[in-house]
Amino acid sequence: MTELFRRSLLRAGAAAGAASLLALPARAQGNYPTRPVTLICPWGAGGGTDATARIIGALLEKDLGQPINVVNRTGGNGVVGHSAIATAQPDGYTIGIITVEIAMLHHAGLTNLTWKDYTPLALVNEDPPGVQVSASSPHKDIKALAEAIKAAPAGKLKASGTGQGGIWHLALVGWLQAMGLQPDHVRWVPSNGAAPAMQDLAAGGVDIVTCSVPEARAMLDAGRARSLAIMAPKRNPQFPEVPTLNEALGINYSTGAWRGIAAPRNLPADMAKTLVAALERTYKSKEFTDFMHARGFGTIWADPEGFAAFMDKSDRAMGEAMRAAGLARA
Amino acid sequence: MDAVLAAFGLVFDPSVMLVILGAAVFGMFVGAMPGLTATMATALLVPVTFFMDPVPSLGAIVTATAMAIFAGDIPAAMLRMPGTPASAAYADESFLMARKGQLDLNLGVNVVFSALGGIVGVVFLVLCAPALAELALNFSSFEYFWLACLGLTCAVFIGTGNPLKGFVALLIGLSVTCIGIDPAAGVPRFTFGNVDLMSGVNFIAVMIGAFAVSELLRGAVALRQEGHVVVPQVGNVFRGVGGVMRRYWLNFIRGSLMGTLIGALPGAGADIAAWVSYAMAKRFSRTPEKFGTGHVEGVVEAGASNNSAVAGAWIPALVFGIPGDSITAIVIGVLYMKGMNPGPTVFTENPQFIYAVFIIFILANIIMVPLGWVAIKSMKQVLRIPRTLLLPLILLFCIVGAFAMTNSSYGILLMLIFGVLGWFMEENGIPVAPMILGLVLGEMLEQNFMTSMIKSDGAWLPFFERPIAGALGIMTLLVWLLMLGRGARAAWRRPAEA
Amino acid sequence: MRVNDAVLGLVLLLLASAMIWLTTYFPAFPGQDYGPALFPRLLATGLIVCALLLMLRGLAARRQGEPWAALASWWSRPGQVVSFLVMPLAVVAYLLFAETLGFIPLAFALLLALFLWFGERPLRALPVAAAATLLMYWFFGEMMRVPLPRGLLNDIL
Repeated sequence: MTELFRRSLLRAGAAAGAASLLALPARAQGNYPTRPVTLICPWGAGGGTDATARIIGALLEKDLGQPINVVNRTGGNGVVGHSAIATAQPDGYTIGIITVEIAMLHHAGLTNLTWKDYTPLALVNEDPPGVQVSASSPHKDIKALAEAIKAAPAGKLKASGTGQGGIWHLALVGWLQAMGLQPDHVRWVPSNGAAPAMQDLAAGGVDIVTCSVPEARAMLDAGRARSLAIMAPKRNPQFPEVPTLNEALGINYSTGAWRGIAAPRNLPADMAKTLVAALERTYKSKEFTDFMHARGFGTIWADPEGFAAFMDKSDRAMGEAMRAAGLARA
Repeated sequence: MDAVLAAFGLVFDPSVMLVILGAAVFGMFVGAMPGLTATMATALLVPVTFFMDPVPSLGAIVTATAMAIFAGDIPAAMLRMPGTPASAAYADESFLMARKGQLDLNLGVNVVFSALGGIVGVVFLVLCAPALAELALNFSSFEYFWLACLGLTCAVFIGTGNPLKGFVALLIGLSVTCIGIDPAAGVPRFTFGNVDLMSGVNFIAVMIGAFAVSELLRGAVALRQEGHVVVPQVGNVFRGVGGVMRRYWLNFIRGSLMGTLIGALPGAGADIAAWVSYAMAKRFSRTPEKFGTGHVEGVVEAGASNNSAVAGAWIPALVFGIPGDSITAIVIGVLYMKGMNPGPTVFTENPQFIYAVFIIFILANIIMVPLGWVAIKSMKQVLRIPRTLLLPLILLFCIVGAFAMTNSSYGILLMLIFGVLGWFMEENGIPVAPMILGLVLGEMLEQNFMTSMIKSDGAWLPFFERPIAGALGIMTLLVWLLMLGRGARAAWRRPAEA
Repeated sequence: MRVNDAVLGLVLLLLASAMIWLTTYFPAFPGQDYGPALFPRLLATGLIVCALLLMLRGLAARRQGEPWAALASWWSRPGQVVSFLVMPLAVVAYLLFAETLGFIPLAFALLLALFLWFGERPLRALPVAAAATLLMYWFFGEMMRVPLPRGLLNDIL
């Protein structure tokens, strides 16, 4: 059996007796952590956030010498999990993976939480949205699609990718506005995530899906869909043939979904330091890079200060986009 | 052919076999515990697979999930506590069989037909994955809307004698799914500002409450009433299974086909397959009146169906990278990590890996029979535990299981509320099974209705324009008309009877 | 506890009406004729129809002498009533004290109390409660990584 499985068996056996005495030797970093750490994930098993949380958890566990338990607290468009992280004790034994939704939920009036309710630790991932059409779509490139959108009456074309007011909906709205169109010129069809939206695209139910390229990848590989552009400053090295909006249309619009690790507010500085150092080693490890590349996920590193500034910027951008789209309620 | 031989070499390696065996035992445990689902088992295996080769990692997932779906039947029959949601559809029927002294027959039928159903599913996966995936790819929200409507029809067949009360239960279940964030507009409904309610009502926690806790409440009262009668059992699990096979082979075939098909549809998995198959069994049975009294026919069909759905779910996952259920959603991630990108190329680029997965699938379903026999034998010891000890132990399992569903006390609270509600409903002749069905189908129904309406700009015609949607829609309406007609005729014949 | 169908119908009627009343506070879905209120209203309407039918039926049964509510015979025997209540009460106790006490002490105490109430001998109840608690903690908490509350044993585990 594998190392991890054997270790968990061993640990389990030991727990019945006196677990703490047999705890695996920790790195010489003071005493913290002396017991298992919980890593809360606001999204369910099978999604990209869960996968990212689990690889980080597995690697942190190796690094810190204490079990990292990934705990899914799902539902409410991410409110449940984000609240659970923010309201946990800042004792260093509960951390979580927070996502772009924390910059959106409070604008939508679903929670009062903002990024300021967390101790930022590290930004690890950002994925820009792409513009995908069905393989049978008449629009061969992004220029043709843009012309078709402009020519079509409002509401005729349909797009999907996530729920109403979700990140990919905002991406569509931002792009439409950058082209000088109304935010509802292309009608949004809410979906339960990117995978069902891509299926609907292939089934002919919608015309455009604005999810990230890695989420669309299986359908792209299967030849059922085409990615026409990405809304990012530069091309994705994993998908070098997909141009940016700026290159193809001269529209300098970019956005993205991001994921980072954070703790409840007021985490003691020495614990934060331990965690950030471990996260940096994790981020730089070959296992992490290989994993993220295999899934096609973008990697980006920001330390606590950088992450805080990044979230501040993201928060303001999302607020602006949501107000413009009439999706803000608070 | 070289690839097939290579695949055999990959599978029949001692360390791989050991992993498969370990995963099988793990899957049995997880499936038999209420609240621990096959999806959870898979999610837990993921970090383990980071450090494994592709074949053992996929083998572990395949084996664990196949076992878990069967193992859920064991506590359902013994304690009326479905171990996984896929067993909920026929939990009552199995429990009634056990009460009649047919526990062994029931479990024997469950393990044999689970294994056979699983194999049928794999055969379809091997032979016609691309064609079936192509079919599944034609399903948009219009088709899913009609499918959910057809699913609701099942409620008529699973309720007991009183259709009105069955309908009430179904409506309660559907209403409960409205709690939480609305699937179309994204606004909170009936949440009263509570964060937990925003996540909606977890249907597995409800299922644990409505089936197991309500049974515990009845058990606690009966404990002091009279010495609980332990029903004598024949002892041989496989006795009588051959006879069932000869008698109900048609149910087995229909269940396996239906399960594979439903499993292959993204968004509908083993649990919906079991409901549909159970309803089909009753609809086409020559003795529908025996259903709900501990009759084996529905167990054969639904037991085969949910296991074939496990393999069916891999069809769209392998061919298009679209998850057929929550388990394959995780599997797709593992495939990418192992460099076996799903898509048509997966069959050409690394065929030996895919063949190895198929072989493991068949192998898992074959070893299910002996391992299942051991599991049944050892779990039957549970029934020997005096009920003074057993009832509190089951309660603790329920608490921990419900907690594991939400990872918070909210799950336990839901279990408690629906446990008491389920007890009260059954006291008053309102069946709980249609309520669970309503919970399973509610969001699918509303989401697909709303998105279809958005796509069609409010028009009804597009619900029938696409070929599959049109056929499904007309079929649904016909079934409903027929049932209404029959109900009206029955009411006409005996107007006095309420 | 069996109640007359008319009572059931009345309760359902009130619940369904409350549902419809609450939907009036839901925001509209911009640009859409059908909003978040549609589905709950449809269901509530269905419930109201069922409730009215139940009430008709219940009143008919009432005329034939069925009582408004009937308790099973065991409700008059205190021991059985406590047995019935002790199950949900144990769950409530778990909900209230799990965070502070932690899974292991609380599960042990609850199991022991229930065993003894149901008439199990202490000599058998004690070891079974202890073994079951530890086994469950091991399987769920360690193997399956369910975050069972640690409570009092926070620093030891």
